[in-house]
Amino acid sequence: MSVVGAFCVSVNREICVNSQMPGKCAVCAEVCPHGVYALDPLTGMMHIQNYNACVGCRICSEFCPADAIRINPAESEYISRFPWTLSTIEEIHYKAQTGDYLLRGFGTQQPTPHFDTITVVPSQIASAAPRDKYREECDMEVVIGEDTCEKPLRLKLPFVWAAMSYGALSKEAKLALAISAAQTGIATNTGEGGLLPEEAYFSRGYADSEFTQKEWDPGGHLVIQWSTGRWGVSADYLNSGDAIEVKIGQGAKPGMGGHLLGSKVTEEIARVRGIPVGSDALSPCRYYDVETIDDMKHMVEFLRDVTDYKFPILFKLGPSRPYDDVSACIEVGADAISIDGLVGGTGCSPNVVTQGVGIPTIACLPPAVQALKDHGVHRKVKLIALGGIRNGLDAYKAMAMGADAVGFGSAAEIAMGCRVCYACQKGNCPYGITSQKPEFRARLDPVEAGQKLTNFIHACAEEVKILTMLSGHNSISDLSTEDIRAMDLNTAALTGLKLVGYERPLSMWEGGFTPATLSSDNGK
Amino acid sequence: MMTAINAKSKNLKALSSLMKEALGEEPVEVTNTKHLSGVATGYKHGKVIIKGDAGDYLGVLNDGANISLTGNAGKYIADNMTAGTIVVDGDAGHGAGMYCYGGDLVIRGDAGDFTGTMNKGATILVVGNVGAEAGTYMLAGDLIIVGNAGENFANYLIRGNAYIGGDWETLGHNTNVVPLSEEDIDKLRAVFETHDVEAPLDEFKKIVAASEKPFYR
Repeated sequence: MSVVGAFCVSVNREICVNSQMPGKCAVCAEVCPHGVYALDPLTGMMHIQNYNACVGCRICSEFCPADAIRINPAESEYISRFPWTLSTIEEIHYKAQTGDYLLRGFGTQQPTPHFDTITVVPSQIASAAPRDKYREECDMEVVIGEDTCEKPLRLKLPFVWAAMSYGALSKEAKLALAISAAQTGIATNTGEGGLLPEEAYFSRGYADSEFTQKEWDPGGHLVIQWSTGRWGVSADYLNSGDAIEVKIGQGAKPGMGGHLLGSKVTEEIARVRGIPVGSDALSPCRYYDVETIDDMKHMVEFLRDVTDYKFPILFKLGPSRPYDDVSACIEVGADAISIDGLVGGTGCSPNVVTQGVGIPTIACLPPAVQALKDHGVHRKVKLIALGGIRNGLDAYKAMAMGADAVGFGSAAEIAMGCRVCYACQKGNCPYGITSQKPEFRARLDPVEAGQKLTNFIHACAEEVKILTMLSGHNSISDLSTEDIRAMDLNTAALTGLKLVGYERPLSMWEGGFTPATLSSDNGK
Repeated sequence: MMTAINAKSKNLKALSSLMKEALGEEPVEVTNTKHLSGVATGYKHGKVIIKGDAGDYLGVLNDGANISLTGNAGKYIADNMTAGTIVVDGDAGHGAGMYCYGGDLVIRGDAGDFTGTMNKGATILVVGNVGAEAGTYMLAGDLIIVGNAGENFANYLIRGNAYIGGDWETLGHNTNVVPLSEEDIDKLRAVFETHDVEAPLDEFKKIVAASEKPFYR
């Protein structure tokens, strides 16, 4: 279900500036990404012209100078009128009037199986004693490509920023991610929109292109994305980072390529991507230059060759058939594999795809880990969990399920100030995170936003450390499924984790995960 | 003096290090490369002559080198080229000159399906015929076919030009056939002269995009 029509907007006319002095204030109309408010140009009066369009982001109430706006959820609607809720009616009316399907950003909106129904098991007397978070060390480093390349990627903390392109994000947001990667020793990712020159040296901690002035310690890393649209890609581009990520898919729209709508393709972005200003930059859904798995193997080989065998090659997958997809990545020579779950999705995507395509992150992990184990490379070829990771607790659970690190995408945008208005693709982000308009971008200072991201990473790292040590470990690489439990039958059935109370996996999981044979009609 | 390298039973890494070492003022001649994909990846300068047939992805990411191939190319020759020149004396397989930002690709024989897909600025000349879907989603540059094209020629063209001397089986979506301007004729004449190609200029047709934004309003 969509959030449209799910919120009640109320304005306190007694304190609203516009109500007192018509024409003096129109902040709510200016900041609302969905046209809920409108100013009557003749009377100067503010009207709520479209209650149903409110998505509950509360940007209007944050910006309102008189604190006159309240947004309340209209939850009972979903019970009393289901399935013909106001949001369904509005959506059908919209389609009937325009013939268009809905597009939006920011991932799945309905409750889906998630980490919340998994709990962490602390150590007591029977298992290894807890470690002391305040007085003892905890090894948090993750190394990618240790045995396969000359310059392995060393993440000081088990986190990466998920790939978000310049174009989807503003320049300021991209640079904030780079600065925070440098301040925390993690990696940022170009995404598929080409490289901003500053990104290359900011992410390593330098303020200048000559790499002489060290500004941010300890210095981080830059992952260069190689994708199906190949925007701004050259041999130099591939050599400007510390790793290459081959994008196969992403959680927001697996099987659909990329969408950067024309409203965000400014002159600068058009130049970086090499496309006409204002045109839709639609990345193909597959590699036109790969027809077989052998082709993909050769692609990995030439990517290694063009970077002189220095850097690791990462793969990024959407949530499809984790066992087989991860196996294929291992076979073609991946050093690390990111798998993005259903809820993942900072990207613009057709509503039906964001809402209804892909499998949840927690269900991606067990088959992905089994594929690594069956190939004898678990914890060697690194697994990075993406998709709805919100904090150190989610990260810990993903790592206990067998991931080596996690990525933050949506959470990174929120750490920079995003209020989740689901309208990134429109280009009017009032916080300047996903807008390309100068007036909005001016509100986002890369250093300040970088510091917020850094603070967020440090807090999450502390959370992971607390949980790792209270469960008796002093290294994140020692985490295992023994450290967590499923809290309900559904989660136990999806993940194979031991069920709380029952203290065993459900009988259907006896013997662990067994890969089903791919059916012959799936197009492979 | 020209360096000669025999790639027989070498892997890509071994051949690549020999070739990079030899790359300089003089041409590097390489034989027996057909079993290898990704030969001559991302070179910025130099002249490479590949004798005989090549494997896939020859000259991928070429960034300034002059590469010539005396035999037939495999799939995806000149993939993602940004600068330089690649000339194939024989035929090219599937997907020649995809994703290029610049440079010149010349195929003296025929080329396969999806030739010049997502071209963003290169000049791609096929002296023979091309298969289906040539010039798909091209965003800039010139695709010049002296012979005939298969189905869906220039499908979803966004920007750039497709020129064809022969006929197409079907024309793709979002295309308009327009007359050649004086500049077009001068441009084609110069390309043909540079690469020593005989072609009847007055028979060429030009295809451009009908709309720059055909998908979303």
